[in-house]
Amino acid sequence: MDLARRLSHVLLTLGKELRECLRDRRTLAVMILFPLVVYPLLSLLVAQVAVSRDKTRQERPSLVAVTGTGGARDDLAARIRDRPKLFTLVGGGSRADVAAGRLDGLVHFGQARRAEIVYDAGREESREAAERLSDVIASALPEGCAPLFSFEKRSVAPEAGLGGYLLSKALPLLVVLMVLLGAFYPAIDVTAGERERGTLETILSSPIRRFDLLLGKVLAVTVLAALTGLLNLASMSLTLIQVMRLADPGSTLPVPWTRAAAAAGMVLPSAFLFASVFVAVGALARGFKEAQHLLTPVYFLSIAPAIVGAIGEYRLAGLAAWIPCLNVTLLARELLLGHTPWSGALAALASTVTCGCAALAVAAHIYSSERFVDPGPRGRSLDTGRTVGIPKPPTAGQALFLYALAFVLLYFVWLPLQRRNLVLGLLVSEWGGLFGLVVLFALFTRQSLPEVLRIGRPPPRCLAGAALVGLSAWAAVAILSEWLSPVPKEVIEQLRRSLIPSDGSRSLLGTLALVALTPAICEEALFRGPILRGLRTRASPAAAVVLTGLLFGVFHVELSRILPTALLGVLLSLVALESGSIVPAMLAHFLNNASLVGLATFRIDERVAGFGTIASALIFVAAALLTALGLLLVHSGDRHARL
Amino acid sequence: MLEAAAVLDSACKSFGALPAVVDLALSVVPGEVYGLLGPNAAGKTTALRMLAGLLQPSSGRALLLGLDAASLQAKARMGFLSGSTGLYARLTPRETLQYFGRIHALSEVDLRRRIATLARWLDLEDILDRRCESLSSGEKQRVSLARAVLHDPPVLILDEPTSGLDVLASRSLRDFVGSERARGKAVLFSTHYLAEAELLCDRIGLLFRGRLLREGTPASIRAECGATTLEEAFLKLVDSD
Repeated sequence: MDLARRLSHVLLTLGKELRECLRDRRTLAVMILFPLVVYPLLSLLVAQVAVSRDKTRQERPSLVAVTGTGGARDDLAARIRDRPKLFTLVGGGSRADVAAGRLDGLVHFGQARRAEIVYDAGREESREAAERLSDVIASALPEGCAPLFSFEKRSVAPEAGLGGYLLSKALPLLVVLMVLLGAFYPAIDVTAGERERGTLETILSSPIRRFDLLLGKVLAVTVLAALTGLLNLASMSLTLIQVMRLADPGSTLPVPWTRAAAAAGMVLPSAFLFASVFVAVGALARGFKEAQHLLTPVYFLSIAPAIVGAIGEYRLAGLAAWIPCLNVTLLARELLLGHTPWSGALAALASTVTCGCAALAVAAHIYSSERFVDPGPRGRSLDTGRTVGIPKPPTAGQALFLYALAFVLLYFVWLPLQRRNLVLGLLVSEWGGLFGLVVLFALFTRQSLPEVLRIGRPPPRCLAGAALVGLSAWAAVAILSEWLSPVPKEVIEQLRRSLIPSDGSRSLLGTLALVALTPAICEEALFRGPILRGLRTRASPAAAVVLTGLLFGVFHVELSRILPTALLGVLLSLVALESGSIVPAMLAHFLNNASLVGLATFRIDERVAGFGTIASALIFVAAALLTALGLLLVHSGDRHARL
Repeated sequence: MLEAAAVLDSACKSFGALPAVVDLALSVVPGEVYGLLGPNAAGKTTALRMLAGLLQPSSGRALLLGLDAASLQAKARMGFLSGSTGLYARLTPRETLQYFGRIHALSEVDLRRRIATLARWLDLEDILDRRCESLSSGEKQRVSLARAVLHDPPVLILDEPTSGLDVLASRSLRDFVGSERARGKAVLFSTHYLAEAELLCDRIGLLFRGRLLREGTPASIRAECGATTLEEAFLKLVDSD
């Protein structure tokens, strides 16, 4: 066969394979849209955590002391006193105080014009103090002058402490990453792999309880994930030691083996958590490839909090101790540093195991359903009880595609535009990026806009309920968020400045049109329109509502605002789903935003912020009850109209 | 009269708004091979899955030896095999049989004896310790058959078991089914090869669009339709439906 003919065969095969792959929407989503959404999201997350970390560091003055005698000592002490934002100077101290963590740093002026900066290299705060002290000392010396004293930095950290500090920089994140990796393919193999091999029916027709079968699978994946995690950690630690030995034969990395073993102890509970989650998700897939597509977003979602834990300055306490993945990295770090906050450690373990058990319960529910035996052909959606004559809803794939597209446009086009011109940027992004997208979707799917949006005439009771939700939910959501994860004051101030210009260049009506009416129409059109309805075709009402709320929260791209906006998104999705029309959700959204504009304009929020815990709790209960009453009214509307 | 070993009692099954099986009633007695025949999407697999305890009827009942087919007790007395049944690729036939034997709570001695017997009957002795991924289609189906009858169940449910097999392998499987009938087993057998059903089945049920069109011996159905073959009878029945 001549070369030209062989080349044509190669090209023919290339064309056929590309055509086949590119017709697979899941491949396209994973290949193109997923990276376009994931990396901006991760970058936002990392940037916001890094900024918050630096800010926390800057805001915390280092606790230092200056000891010894002489004019230089007094001069340095005076310079330190002049920088109250950077330092808190105490009367005296010793190396033991630095080693015990009672002091962050100490400058000691000794004999023979020698001075030393004493710090603990195994503590981040102490390293920061040493840097600051060095800067003060350097700035005290006029340019070109020789120093009177020779300064030396001396760490009082024990070798194991230093090793623990170094390991705490990388190992906690690796624990999560390696265990996740170890769970990924085994979970697919025992679920979708079993279905694809044709052995599922065989085992399900045998006298074995489905839960026992599931538990066996989850435990198998747990063992494999834990082994993968432990082997990777061991190999990495040994490689690191070897690299240091090769680089400098005299040096050794003082590894605190007991602490490292304690940190590696987190491998098992996290392996159980990831195994349960992955097996639950894998059980929904029809085949290996679909399982990969379903698990990839879960994989990235699990990594995100672990990254936040690894790079942030969070302590293993409060809410952070209860957030899965985040708490694993925090606990591993604390253990490596030699701190053992028992309450935080117990909370982290309890949270990880509880979430693992919850995922196991979800998996058990899936295993006991008939959908597990026969998930049906691709594209078969849940029967949502629609009646003949009602237009076909969007698919879940279309919903996610629209979301991804809207997010990519927001990140790469609308956010830069909003930075240049806030009003123009907001208007274009809302009407073009959200509402316009829904209009385009309607055109492409050859449906009318009212059909896509489900603009129906809701009963007055639904509208009254939605109004009640809109007027009360903001208070409940704000107080709850304040308790769980407070929004930083600068973010609130920045929002206030952008909403209500101090120069009075925009009227109250103009502000309401821009930040209440526009989002109420445009954001609802996309989120409570095709996205909620599309997700509903593949998920239960509760799952569709929660997922839509989460997507809504993430769409607001500010880490600290994700929780309140996601909670609001859940409530608005409930209103839309229960009323069967998008109009009540639009009304609730408008009233919610209008209430916030009113609060910001008249600075009522500042007065509310001064209330005590009991007053806040009472307001929360009252607002939550009103919201519940509103939802009840919406629920009691036209049952047949539900989405 | 023998008590029925497998019964579908006015069983209906729908997936969403789509009815797959409508008011299906059939029974199989010990020592009988009952053939469930019909074209693709007639509802054969759904009917057999209800009897195998994989699906619950939307209404009506599926019983095995008087027990709810979905119960563990019923599953312990039933062997299920379909044409699409796979094997654990990285296990050997012996390991596969040991796994299922232990699920069926066979003692280690009984399990060893039973594996040896089945290996002899089904000509598996040379392949018992090879990985299943290296076996041919016929060999795999023989291993699957051994797995289905490992615990010597009184009821066998075989869903298009000869699908994809060559003439010799199909013949061998039919012979095995015949021998199980002779041992008093109730066999429910689905196929869309009508000639195969005529050779093997004592009674047949013709299923079309989820409904049972006719039930009887192959000869009685042929005679009733004035046809010379079962295929001709089936086509006449479908045309008149």
